[in-house]
Amino acid sequence: MIVVVLASAVFSVGLYVVLVRRDLVAILAGVELMLGAANVLLVALASVAGSFTALVESAGALVIVLAAAEAAVGLALVIAAVRRSGRSRTDEFTEVSG
Amino acid sequence: MTLEMTALIAGSLLLALGALGVLLVNEAMRLVIALGGFLLGVALLFVYFAAPFLAVAQVFVYVGGVLVLFLFALMVLRRGSGDITLLATRHDVGAAVTATAVFGLLVIALVPESGGLWPVPPDVAGSVAADLLGPRIVPFELAGLLLLVALVAVLVIVNGGDAE
Repeated sequence: MIVVVLASAVFSVGLYVVLVRRDLVAILAGVELMLGAANVLLVALASVAGSFTALVESAGALVIVLAAAEAAVGLALVIAAVRRSGRSRTDEFTEVSG
Repeated sequence: MTLEMTALIAGSLLLALGALGVLLVNEAMRLVIALGGFLLGVALLFVYFAAPFLAVAQVFVYVGGVLVLFLFALMVLRRGSGDITLLATRHDVGAAVTATAVFGLLVIALVPESGGLWPVPPDVAGSVAADLLGPRIVPFELAGLLLLVALVAVLVIVNGGDAE
């Protein structure tokens, strides 16, 4: 239960970071918090339920791969956005096109 | 104190402190360090839950890969360690209420299913390789394809920005 409550709290902290941070890199870090907490919850709950099998470990590995791809594309988007506009804060992007 | 309990305590501490660091620090490099601590904490919790494959993958992919990507991004964006203004935070009551509500929902939904106070480490899981290369071969190959597509997307996004 300790780990489940802790991982739930970390997921909520990640959500709060995504909502309140203005910097694009910090927002991506918040998303990483949420993905890591979700993976811990997956393994912890499967362990408690007595159904921790190779399937759960495979699913956790796939989550790690998806998170790595998300981080790579997300950081590339951040770099492209900063190069094009010179801005890196979400409240500085006021145009939806062009 | 057994190795598992050490991993549980150290992993929980790193998880909590890393998450708080990502939330509270205003310096880019310290944010990456806090994120690294959080990711190491996740790996230690995987060790506690007898998932060594996940722990190693977490260290290799996240700490060795994603964290380096973050450092590269900071380097490209030319942010030094003394930069404290670009990570300004606007604390918001609505966001805090939303995050707290999500935490409450998760606790209400998951804690009744989570057994006793301290989780019991499971027995060693079956062969992950046999599972990934057997019945899970399709999602495994799709994950590889996804990584390839992500790599191409990164190149297109970054080079496209250069061209313009």
